[in-house]
Amino acid sequence: MDIPSFADLNLGVTLPAVFLALGTTVLLLIDAFLPKERRHLTAWFALAGVLVSFVLTLFNFGSSETALAGMFVADSFTGFMNLVALTAAAITILLSIDYLKRTGNARGEFYSLLLLSTAGAMFMASANDLIVVFVALELLSIPLYIMAAFRLNNAKSEESGMKYFILGAFSSAFLVYGSALIYGATGTTNLQEILASIGGIVEAGSSAIFYLVIGAALIVVGLGFKVAVVPFHMWTPDVYEGAPTPVTAFMSVGAKIGGFAALLRVLVTALPFLVAGQTVEPVWQNTIMIVAALTLIVGNFVAISQSNIKRMLAYSSIAHAGYIMMAVAAAANPFTADFAARSALIYLLAYTFTNLGAFAIALAIEKDDGSGTDIKDFVGLARSKPVLAAAMAVFMFSLTGIPLTAGFTGKWFVFQATMQAGLVPLAVIGVLTSVVSAFYYVRIIVNMYLSDGEGDEAAGATPLVNWAVYISFAGTLLLGVFPILATNLTETVTLLASVAP
Amino acid sequence: MQSLALIAPLIILLPSLGTIINFFWGPKLNERFSSLIGITASASTFVVWLVLFSYLNGNYYQPAIVDLPILDGWIRIPSVGLEIPWQQRIDTLSVTMMGFVTFVGTLIHIYASGYMHGDPRYARFFAYLNMFLAFMLILVSGNNLLMLFVGWEGVGLCSYLLVGFWFDKKHGVGLKNSNAARKAFVANRIGDFGMLMAIFLAFWTFGTLDLYKPTEVTNPHMMEALASGGGHGEEGAAPANGAAEEGGHGEEAPAGEEGAGDHTGSAAQLVSLASDLPIDQEGDHGEAAAEDHGESASEGHAGPVIAYTDNTHLTFSQLGIFAQAERLAQLGEGETLERGDGTTAGRMINFGAFELDIDTVITLITLFMLLGATGKSAQIPLFVWLPDAMAGPTPVSALIHAATMVTAGVYMMVRANSLFHLAEFSSLVVTIIGVLTALSAGYVAMGQFDIKKVLAYSTVSQLGFMVAAVGVGAYGAAMFHMITHAFFKALLFLGSGSVIHGVEHGHHHAHEHKHDDHGHDEHHAETFDPQDMRNMGGLRRKMPITYATYLIGTLALAGLYPFAGFWSKDEILADSWVAAIQDGKFAGFVALGLFVAAALTAFYMWRQIEMVFHGSPRTEAAEQASESVWSMTVPLVILAVLSLLGGFLNIPSGIGLFSFGLQGVFGEHTLSTWLEYSVVHLHVGAFQPLIAIVSLVLAVAAIILANRIYGSNKAINSEGLDPLEANPASRPIFALSNARLYWDEIYGRLFITPFNRTAAFLANVVDMAFLHDYFHDSVITKGFNGIGRLLSHPIDLGIIDGAVNGIGRLTRWISGGLRRTQAGYVRVYAVALLIGVVAVIVFMLLPVLQG
Amino acid sequence: MVIGGITPEAFAFGLFTILTLGGALGVALNRNLVRGAVWLIVSLFGMAGLFVLLSAPFLAAVQVLVYIGAIGILITFAVMLTRSMTNLRERFTNQWWMSAIVAGLFFLFLLLGVVAPVWGSLSPDQAPAIVGTTEQLGVSFVDGNQFVLPFEVVSLLLTAAIIGAIVIARHQEEEE
Repeated sequence: MDIPSFADLNLGVTLPAVFLALGTTVLLLIDAFLPKERRHLTAWFALAGVLVSFVLTLFNFGSSETALAGMFVADSFTGFMNLVALTAAAITILLSIDYLKRTGNARGEFYSLLLLSTAGAMFMASANDLIVVFVALELLSIPLYIMAAFRLNNAKSEESGMKYFILGAFSSAFLVYGSALIYGATGTTNLQEILASIGGIVEAGSSAIFYLVIGAALIVVGLGFKVAVVPFHMWTPDVYEGAPTPVTAFMSVGAKIGGFAALLRVLVTALPFLVAGQTVEPVWQNTIMIVAALTLIVGNFVAISQSNIKRMLAYSSIAHAGYIMMAVAAAANPFTADFAARSALIYLLAYTFTNLGAFAIALAIEKDDGSGTDIKDFVGLARSKPVLAAAMAVFMFSLTGIPLTAGFTGKWFVFQATMQAGLVPLAVIGVLTSVVSAFYYVRIIVNMYLSDGEGDEAAGATPLVNWAVYISFAGTLLLGVFPILATNLTETVTLLASVAP
Repeated sequence: MQSLALIAPLIILLPSLGTIINFFWGPKLNERFSSLIGITASASTFVVWLVLFSYLNGNYYQPAIVDLPILDGWIRIPSVGLEIPWQQRIDTLSVTMMGFVTFVGTLIHIYASGYMHGDPRYARFFAYLNMFLAFMLILVSGNNLLMLFVGWEGVGLCSYLLVGFWFDKKHGVGLKNSNAARKAFVANRIGDFGMLMAIFLAFWTFGTLDLYKPTEVTNPHMMEALASGGGHGEEGAAPANGAAEEGGHGEEAPAGEEGAGDHTGSAAQLVSLASDLPIDQEGDHGEAAAEDHGESASEGHAGPVIAYTDNTHLTFSQLGIFAQAERLAQLGEGETLERGDGTTAGRMINFGAFELDIDTVITLITLFMLLGATGKSAQIPLFVWLPDAMAGPTPVSALIHAATMVTAGVYMMVRANSLFHLAEFSSLVVTIIGVLTALSAGYVAMGQFDIKKVLAYSTVSQLGFMVAAVGVGAYGAAMFHMITHAFFKALLFLGSGSVIHGVEHGHHHAHEHKHDDHGHDEHHAETFDPQDMRNMGGLRRKMPITYATYLIGTLALAGLYPFAGFWSKDEILADSWVAAIQDGKFAGFVALGLFVAAALTAFYMWRQIEMVFHGSPRTEAAEQASESVWSMTVPLVILAVLSLLGGFLNIPSGIGLFSFGLQGVFGEHTLSTWLEYSVVHLHVGAFQPLIAIVSLVLAVAAIILANRIYGSNKAINSEGLDPLEANPASRPIFALSNARLYWDEIYGRLFITPFNRTAAFLANVVDMAFLHDYFHDSVITKGFNGIGRLLSHPIDLGIIDGAVNGIGRLTRWISGGLRRTQAGYVRVYAVALLIGVVAVIVFMLLPVLQG
Repeated sequence: MVIGGITPEAFAFGLFTILTLGGALGVALNRNLVRGAVWLIVSLFGMAGLFVLLSAPFLAAVQVLVYIGAIGILITFAVMLTRSMTNLRERFTNQWWMSAIVAGLFFLFLLLGVVAPVWGSLSPDQAPAIVGTTEQLGVSFVDGNQFVLPFEVVSLLLTAAIIGAIVIARHQEEEE
């Protein structure tokens, strides 16, 4: 056995994710050995871990290297996704501390699970091998299953976790099967090597292309489930509604970060030339397009008739997955692949801030027993909690895509990418459905500002939750007014160029 | 002088600052301080405007493009060529817009300080008003479509907040207010869809969103005129454009709105904005310029030294979208031109799956822009929100929904005149929409009883005039009418606010009085509507200042000589006439429908005067009404003066003594010539005596008719009916108008109900009912049942009794269990997931199987 | 060593065969689902033994870990979760006949399709050389040039699963 030197392994670039993963185990021990009256410190250790990982990511940002026998890749794409995932984790920690306490579920394991899941998302963003994609996906998901069921003695929460687990396991199977088929056709699981061997298969017209296409389809299904696109979305509202609100918040963002990172990486890096006939665009483009269109339509329309804020945000998150899916469809075109990938990144960042902010406020008005999540509970919030209401209004505007908010920046780039890829009908559907989305987002604002009624006292709006709101709020506005802050970071993102032999 | 233009960002910054102060510290401030902040912020924008205005006058009307250092490269991704800087364009068009926005805005701030007195959210109101100003100024000064859109959305947001400002009013009024706000928001979102599509298409086609690049010459005709004529102040300079040739007007000295004849060409300070701007420092580059363009400034002329009179020296990608569009449209079939970055561009624009000719693309862009304009400028089919938006406080109606925001659509189309000039079909559609809107809104205004609703429909109708003017290419007339309309419509709205205020106070007064007598008048207090003209009458004597100013506003709106409305409306009609008769444009003939709309205008406005001010008071409240406070009446007086004099901004040539010889002070075609520096296809038309006489006769006839019907205290008969309503012959005409042509009902039937049903259908049927119930019951349960039966029947040889029943029971038990417990749905989800998997695989395999 | 004409291998083969087939019969014939699940585990265990006899210790280990450790437990878990089912005694219905016929047909298909073509054509000395050993497999998991990353991530995965188990178990503990 040759023992590779550490330099060969290039472990340095893996540090952000590895640190977080190792930190998790340390965190477990810390939690176990902390005296009971100091247990509340666990959350702060977790936050510190996230911040250290954030700083490590910044130090590594912009490199373009592979590590660990080509299974791990650290480039700007990874770096940006890591930053988004870590931001989401940090905000979630702020949301969780008081929420878990007041609902009687304060247990240190929660933070370990959260960090493990975050590490999973980060590994997915760095995965350069189908095997890693799969195990990272599981690392992302399994903690989420458990966290969804984290609420003690709450049938809804347990049911939520159980449903998510069963369906999640079911869909993971498709991913594995898809990977196996691609392995069968190409003899490798490494993304670059898959890319290299696809050309020959396509040109020779060998029957292996069937395995490749079915494999790609199954991978789309497996990841599509994680990011909740139609028709793999059914679990979302039930699970979102039942899970504890901070978990829902993280789930709505973290799972999408990991899922879209892997989807973009696999489709754009490994399968861009999976074409049939004389076309330039790979066979998966049409499928992604139709999935995106369906997702936009179903997500946005069904959200209108929801009366529970968590269910509404669930359908809203489905709809937003549709917008990111538009970018994935645009990434099929080799000429716009990089721009589309960048637009997806910016959208994810915008969505992360905005959605976490919206969930933070939903959490603030939620009662200890999990009730108080009806849209009617927002009535009069502008009078009882003007700052929260103003922030919520901005989040809603951002989700609608009004200029000078992050949501507009994200939509702007995604629509641009879609237009540049020539997918005009999809762009039109995107714009039209975002018009539709105004209906249900504005309803919240109308309830808060323009309806008579006693405002909720927002018992959950503790200082920590407020901080989470402020951070999300600042992010939403900053990204809206100074998009250049984010666009500069994505400048060097290339998924296609990294393929060049 | 360049440094003067550099203060442009302040015009946005100052009201933003006012917003922040009033928003965050407002609740702690007293009314006086809040209003002081708001008014100061607004007034200071007017001061900034004055500086910008004098900058343009001192700089030969040459535009400046001002970067904001901290937002440099607002949105920038060099690798795909996406570069959208935060730039403000200071040119004659944007400065014109800024002028009346800041001026009317300031007056309305002052008015609001009195009107909103005692409101619990006084400071918030001023915060919103300031915010509105900031966004409106972003809209008009942005040098790219995205900034325009930011402003566009921003003013929409403020409008939304302000319409719903009184959401907490009791007895369902608040609910109505918030619904009106929501309606406005949603209607505008549909318009925004158009704007977004226009922006995307423009970016796709031209690769930039900049309206103009810093080095670009905006209007070559005017540059030539400047170069050969040595600037202004000289008669007989080269004709500015084709229209000038026909009209026979000379190149007239563009003087400022302030009547600033105080600077002459020779005294003007000649400063270039940047070394690459078309105008150079005198003498500095004189030789080079003379070499390049022999016609350039000759010695002895004190005019500006022109480096370039056109854009031929610039490559394609160095141009803004308008100039690019014109270049592309001039290309022949199959011709290409160099972009300047190594690539070429041709007539055919590639959209991935298909290609479109540049003409088609421009038509699409302009039609999408029109959709945007129908939303913001309240045209058919999206106008329905504006009348409802009158639920907001009256200063808001005056500022946003009459004078400024609603003109944004017209402004945008005038700004894009180069595109509309190239798209004849779009222009025709624009005209048709404008005329239809002007007619139908004018008709509806006839039958309303709410004083503000009449004005609202009147606004829609007048905006129709402006839109129609854009359609026939009368961009100057559209802008002219926009300005005069801003004056007199703001005046009328503020006047109506004063009336409402007075009647409300009168009502309280009367009510207190009655209260002493009877002590049980609660119900009456709730149902009294101070905006209903049936409750008014005879206010002439109670509110003399309001009456006098309102009368001036009415005569101006009706288009009576010599009020402002006469000049501007007449110019629209005259230009349409010229377009129809001389150019034979179909759009011109369509626009002649505006004559009818003009007559309607005079009719409904006089009806209003009769109902509100003349006759005798019809209620206690009107009896007890009193004149408003000075902070409300002073703006009325100022606006009344402007409504009287505003028309002299653009005195047509050939009018003779009918302008009281004021040409000497204001000049002829002052506004049009001034605007011509930034509006390339502006049409400077001569006076058409015939048109003026016809329109005047129509207006006077309409007023006389209205006087016959409503005058002599007959405005409302004893049964509370309108005379037209009381007369069986005219009842249907009135009823249809009173019912607002059933627009809202038609929309409800056509769109709102189906939309709600679709959403409910998707939610209930497709997502829940279909997947959960239908799919589960019909497919799984029935399938299971059916298979069970199928399998059991042939084999059921009587060995085991009741096996079939057993399966049936089992099935029922399982399906019942599934329906009872949510957990059961997991199976349905899993099956649906499986179907999705099969669908995705099959769909992806199809091309492979075919290929 | 031969005892009574039977080699230890043959003895073990017989034992494992009995376990496998007996377990399978137990699954098929037992009316109580929980017991059926236990019989399934017995059958799977027998199969693992057969793998050992075929010199495939890794497959045997996987059989025990994955099928018995994971899938067997999962089935038991699922049966237990749907509580009413633990006491449900399946009635003998026509469906059973159908199942039997379908299973029989499938077995026949396997026999004809997979076993028959190679039956008797292979002698022990023709058996393919064993390509990978358990040792090589183990090395590849920790070799930086092979699968160390997935392996480590899987270890994290297991950590997460264990935490989950603890969390859920403590749920019930606190409930009691």
